[in-house]
Amino acid sequence: MAEKVKLFVNGQEVEVESGKNLIDAIGAIGIEIPHLCYHPALGADGNCRLCLVGIEDGRPPLVPACKTRVAEGMKVQLDTGKIKKIQQDIMEFELINHPIDCPVCDQAGECKLQDYYMRYDAQPSRMTVKQVLKSKKLDFGCGVVHDQERCVLCARCVRFTRLITKTGELGIVNRTDYARVEIFPGRPLNNRYALNVVDLCPVGAMTSQDFRFKQRVWFLTKSPSICHGCSKGCNIFIDHNREKYKDDIIYRFRPRHNEKVNGYFMCDDGRMTYKLENDNRLLGAMIDKRETGFNEAVEAVRRELSQAAKTVILVSPNASLEQMYALQQFAGTINAQVSGFSDGYIKNGDGDDFLIQDDKSANRATFHLLGIDDTRAGFDTAVAGADLLLSFDNDLSLSLPQTDLDQLLGQVKLITVGSRQNDFVTKASIKLPVASFSEDSGSIINCDGRLQRYDAAVIKNEPMPSMIAAINMLGGGIVSHQEAREGLQANVPKLKDIDLDQVPGDGIALTENEVAHVAA
Amino acid sequence: MSDRSQLIETGQPFNFDAQRDAEFERLIKRYPSRESMILPALWLVQEQEGWISAEAMAYVADRIGTFASKVYEVATFYTMYHLQPKGKYHICVCRTLSCYLLGKQEIVDYIIEHLDVRPGEVRADGLYSFEEVECLGHCGSAPVVQINGEFYENMTVEKLEELLATLQ
Ligand code: SF4
Ligand code: SF4
Ligand code: FES
Ligand code: FES
Repeated sequence: MAEKVKLFVNGQEVEVESGKNLIDAIGAIGIEIPHLCYHPALGADGNCRLCLVGIEDGRPPLVPACKTRVAEGMKVQLDTGKIKKIQQDIMEFELINHPIDCPVCDQAGECKLQDYYMRYDAQPSRMTVKQVLKSKKLDFGCGVVHDQERCVLCARCVRFTRLITKTGELGIVNRTDYARVEIFPGRPLNNRYALNVVDLCPVGAMTSQDFRFKQRVWFLTKSPSICHGCSKGCNIFIDHNREKYKDDIIYRFRPRHNEKVNGYFMCDDGRMTYKLENDNRLLGAMIDKRETGFNEAVEAVRRELSQAAKTVILVSPNASLEQMYALQQFAGTINAQVSGFSDGYIKNGDGDDFLIQDDKSANRATFHLLGIDDTRAGFDTAVAGADLLLSFDNDLSLSLPQTDLDQLLGQVKLITVGSRQNDFVTKASIKLPVASFSEDSGSIINCDGRLQRYDAAVIKNEPMPSMIAAINMLGGGIVSHQEAREGLQANVPKLKDIDLDQVPGDGIALTENEVAHVAA
Repeated sequence: MSDRSQLIETGQPFNFDAQRDAEFERLIKRYPSRESMILPALWLVQEQEGWISAEAMAYVADRIGTFASKVYEVATFYTMYHLQPKGKYHICVCRTLSCYLLGKQEIVDYIIEHLDVRPGEVRADGLYSFEEVECLGHCGSAPVVQINGEFYENMTVEKLEELLATLQ
């Protein structure tokens, strides 16, 4: 528990966490101090002056709240006429050259300037001179589009490239009315986290080429989830919308704050994995390239299972803890071997020392927790003499060289249960579609051994069965997530004290080294 | 002040000559932080070339070990750095408060109209270049005009006319 200090805000006694600045400390108990340039991950810059507050203790009459730490007994004034006047004046200043066309701005609905204007200013404009026009729709690289005339020069984006990615592509050039954010000629944004400047920008000056003008943000449902782009498991919001007569579509992933995993950020590649949830989905069951009903396909698989001499179950390293457990149990009942072979999901040397990991799968750590072998040698032993390969969303073509794959498929019958189409799935004689992670709930363990939970975000018009339901129909004993979770708690020693239904928002560290140091 | 963000690329790599190179090395020892060398290094470029190109900025950034964007910020902030070749006579008119209140606009308008050159531009024949700049520190004798580094105080349109006649 962090230490607390007592102070007075507008004469009222409150208790807040010590060591923080006024904006964060008082903000945490629901008292807002307006600010544009300060961001917890970028530190105080003190350039916007919107956060000025009064402190009655003999220090200068006004101080920037972003640069002032809370202290015992401090008397903070936020509601005096003088402070309100400052807030109004700063807002007026910010709006001198800002185009007042919120209805056509991509940021409308999540814009600080818009919110603060309504809350702290609400005055008609007194400007009679022409606004300074600046450039629009500048391509800054990495899918970032900059609209100079909306910029309030808070320098968050600039500081992000200097402090976080240390690539420093952005700067504020010129001064006075001409000041603007620019890239150095010929040196556009060039880092793998560039799109974070879009989230950081408090106004609509930084937009994402991919997202801009596709949706009004107030139509989007913002569901918390976990990125499955690599083994880091960055916390995200899945922003999706079901328009009338259409299906629920995901429009973007945005980072969700979790100090223990990803801070405020996520990588650009991960951000774009939302497309995998929308596109190339497996939408119907198929037997030998013929579309069939789901139940009919299930029957066909059960028949194959009963006739097979040796069955191997191949698990995806993206499957959830619950799914893997259900599969393991199922494998036990049908006497099949389980392999998690998925070397192709690992891109050696691709990771960095920030968020991106070599391992592009979300839950390999669970293989190690549940003792699922994911080596090539283990796989080769398992498939030796097998005549049926049942793959649960594992794209084996990523891991096996073409010739080996062809040889294998000459020997076994392939059945796939999964959420998306790919070359490997095309080769299957029976395909069963199931829900993808954004439509399902589950737990995953990241590269640092942190157990995190996600819930179903997207509800399709025609929902696919969950993988656990599919496994159950194929003959697996586990009927629900609930049951899988109970089973895990009862049978996996490292989980015995963990209620998987109650995993907190920022996850739980599984301390055992065995889990933490998974091969990446 | 005008928009100074449009840098000129010469298409040639920039390098300090031997003298500036030595001077750079001498100066950099003075500063605990290398980034503080941005201003003096830009001066050296300007001394050598008369103006600062995009390549020269990139060179300075690499030489100091900082982001080109930072050098770009500094060079576009201070109007004493010339981001294009100057005219034979480089005229700066202060546009900040004291000068503004005491009539800098008449002088600016006169220059635009009679010398046919706008702030931030060089006249086609290369005789004049013109820049509106921030406070020149001569507020007590505002408005002030600076031509090729010389200050002319308590300026009026008449005085400027006379002065220009002596320059040709
Ligand atoms: S583009 Fe956005 S983040 Fe960057 S300085 Fe302008 S307002 Fe701030
Ligand atoms: S670092 Fe990994 S988990 Fe995080 S956003 Fe990128 S791909 Fe997703
Ligand atoms: S948030 Fe404090 S000055 Fe901008
Ligand atoms: S205002 Fe012009 S010299 Fe200071």
